[in-house]
Amino acid sequence: MENPESPQKFVVPIGPQHPALKEPAHFEFSVDGEIVTGASVRLGYVHRGIEKAAEARNYPQGLYLVERVCGICSHVHALSFALGTEKLAKVVAPPRAQAIRVLTSELERLHSHMLWLGVAAHEGGFDTLFMYSWRDRETVMDLLEQMTGNRVNYSINIIGGVKQDVSDEIKTAILKGMDFLEGRMTHYLTVVTTDETFLGRTRDVGVMTREQAETLGPVGPTARASGVPIDVRVDSPYAGYVDFPVNLIVDDGCDLLARFVVRIKEMQESIRLIREILDHLPEGELAVRVPRRIPENEIIQRVEAPRGELFYYMKSNGTDMPERVKIRTPSLCNWASVINLAPGYKLADMPMILAGIDPCFSCNDR
Amino acid sequence: MELSLHPIILLLFFPGGLFLFVAGLLYEWVDRKLVAQYQNRIGPRFIQPLADIIKLLAKEEIVPDGVHKGLFIALPIVGLASALAAALYVPLVGFNPSYSFNGDLIVVVYLLSVMTLCLGLAGANTADRFSLVGATRTLTQLFSYEAPFMLSLLGPAIVAGTWQISEINAFAIESRPWWFAFTQIVGFLVAMVGLMGKLEMPPFDAPEAETEIVAGALTEYSGRGLALFRLGKDVELVIGLTLIAAFFMGGLANPLDFLWKTAILILVVAALQSLFARLRIDQTVGLWWRAGALLALLQLLAIILGRYLQPVLSQFFSGLFGG
Amino acid sequence: MTIGAMLSDIVRSLFKKPVTERYPFERKPTPARLRGKLIYDPTRCTGCMLCMKDCTANAIEIITVDKVNKKFVMRFHADRCTYCAQCVENCRFDCIQMSAEDYEMAALTRTPFEVMYGREEDLQALLDCAEKAPGDEPAA
Repeated sequence: MENPESPQKFVVPIGPQHPALKEPAHFEFSVDGEIVTGASVRLGYVHRGIEKAAEARNYPQGLYLVERVCGICSHVHALSFALGTEKLAKVVAPPRAQAIRVLTSELERLHSHMLWLGVAAHEGGFDTLFMYSWRDRETVMDLLEQMTGNRVNYSINIIGGVKQDVSDEIKTAILKGMDFLEGRMTHYLTVVTTDETFLGRTRDVGVMTREQAETLGPVGPTARASGVPIDVRVDSPYAGYVDFPVNLIVDDGCDLLARFVVRIKEMQESIRLIREILDHLPEGELAVRVPRRIPENEIIQRVEAPRGELFYYMKSNGTDMPERVKIRTPSLCNWASVINLAPGYKLADMPMILAGIDPCFSCNDR
Repeated sequence: MELSLHPIILLLFFPGGLFLFVAGLLYEWVDRKLVAQYQNRIGPRFIQPLADIIKLLAKEEIVPDGVHKGLFIALPIVGLASALAAALYVPLVGFNPSYSFNGDLIVVVYLLSVMTLCLGLAGANTADRFSLVGATRTLTQLFSYEAPFMLSLLGPAIVAGTWQISEINAFAIESRPWWFAFTQIVGFLVAMVGLMGKLEMPPFDAPEAETEIVAGALTEYSGRGLALFRLGKDVELVIGLTLIAAFFMGGLANPLDFLWKTAILILVVAALQSLFARLRIDQTVGLWWRAGALLALLQLLAIILGRYLQPVLSQFFSGLFGG
Repeated sequence: MTIGAMLSDIVRSLFKKPVTERYPFERKPTPARLRGKLIYDPTRCTGCMLCMKDCTANAIEIITVDKVNKKFVMRFHADRCTYCAQCVENCRFDCIQMSAEDYEMAALTRTPFEVMYGREEDLQALLDCAEKAPGDEPAA
């Protein structure tokens, strides 16, 4: 995506070590004064060979391995793997387990979006919003620790269900946390949409029209902010989303501001969903027995991670170790949108545009 | 207040030199602690800025390839020296300036700009891309806020009828309780925001934007050079606050005055730091040349009109109330 | 069009206590379900080795001292463990728990990370065995 005609190619490298990036990647922006004329990306700095390692471990071991692909969206990876294995073995987890899985997914979406809000504000120089959104994120982290035992890598899934139950104490704590967060979300929505300096950094920056979005193929909130109505929870509901449906949040702004608005509204939707699940948690057992050796089969499992559509392809061969686990993470789809749309904007907008798609480099590189 | 000490002590220890370093570090700590308090977190301990400087001085100074070595080493020293020299002409700590002469307002503003110029030159000297972009932005920002800042400082000077800082200070003390902050509120605002631009504090920290160009012009500096630049910025903070307090907040008559007036100023400056997102460099230039210069010019116009119309107005009012 | 939309937050924080946790000078109480260090109860262990089979990181080794009388010793590698609690889930006799208090496990050498759990006499038997025949690994 570079512009070969510009005679003065002044290349600003961002990464692999750069204060703008939280994880290593290499970007090269050809710059003319302050205007970017070309962009290219190079990934792969955090490749750990997880897909290959999964072939040498049995299914329960693989579950925890795959959870560590990413720290922010660890639960959806484990969820997808567990659902995929259950599909391979042709069993279905009990309804209470599915509801608890969805509860944890939504709590994870909350904490991931709040992390992103802080990081994106920091990239724009708005450190106050960064500090406040991360302070409020601690509420969700404490709730997750109370419910599952850890702040990241919750390990609440097992093949066939979940490990831990939601007691009444935890339920009260979660509802109290949600009340606090609801007020904060409304406040952040006001701040993001009305603060003049912040609007100056996000309005009409990184514009991706609906046609471009449908050609370049981004997923998740990045696509929904350009008016493309795709959401795996709504298109093909899985786990507890069949019983607890989600509203699709779409915005037609097409710019960076729209991405902020979509994510904050998604957080509000998550809060509503968490309250609904806790009110109507189905009774029953927590897990169902799944045989150790899974018969030969191959399946596809899609799950909505906080960043978009997470795609798992799994193949079993009758033994207790999978034959192939293929992971396609959502951040991979969103890069094309950034690289193609970056030229024409100023260098100062680059970190904001990069942060706008919520990149997760560990997810990319596996 | 007068201070009669031996010139060597004035220059090296109090109120210039060593005392100014300590005051600079103290004000940097207060600023960081206030910003942290606004953001609902604990800030650094009081010894932190001193620890930063000591650590930097203890590190090796790496001179990168392709720079002019003499310039590289000399620029931080020149910057710090000019900031220290400016301290001789302002009423630091409430005492009368040690060496003051007619026209030293211009000299002080110029000396404060030398520091920014040194930053820009330091960035342009290095062959690193980030430094070049940072240097361009520093100089662009210098061009944009310098004029409105100077114009806003001219307001009190015109009313006092002199270009000498010590006399403006005396005039401001005399004309209490009519602080210039109330009678020239627009000029006061422009001066305060201009000070934030000069010191490259958020939201005007585009030249030093950490998330875009690493550290701007200072990217390749480490060790002693970086320590001297940071010290220079801290000293400029103290001098800038003194200048604004002396001009707009009723003059500095004694050290107690100095303390509480600069305390109020730094409270407001820290609040302004935490309220806004970073402005892009083109937005900064647009803001200053459109809003800033216009406001400063309007303020000046109001003052000049006021002076010309003063005889007429005072006759009118005395006719109304006196008689 | 607001300038300074976070002004209310800022001004309120000026009068509130900072929210930073002053760890390690003040420690908050840990939740009951925290997955800290492993605790093993040898009295109930039957030697089924299910915990070892599904351990993601090969952090558990069950060493058989006496299979007939059900005397087992566990060697737990705290530095390999991922604290996922799959072993807790697998054990049918509730021999394994994860401590909720013991979570600060940083150390300067590797030795504190290899923890042996078992009855006193079993551990002693192992050590005697190791002394008698150095180089022979007891049956695992």
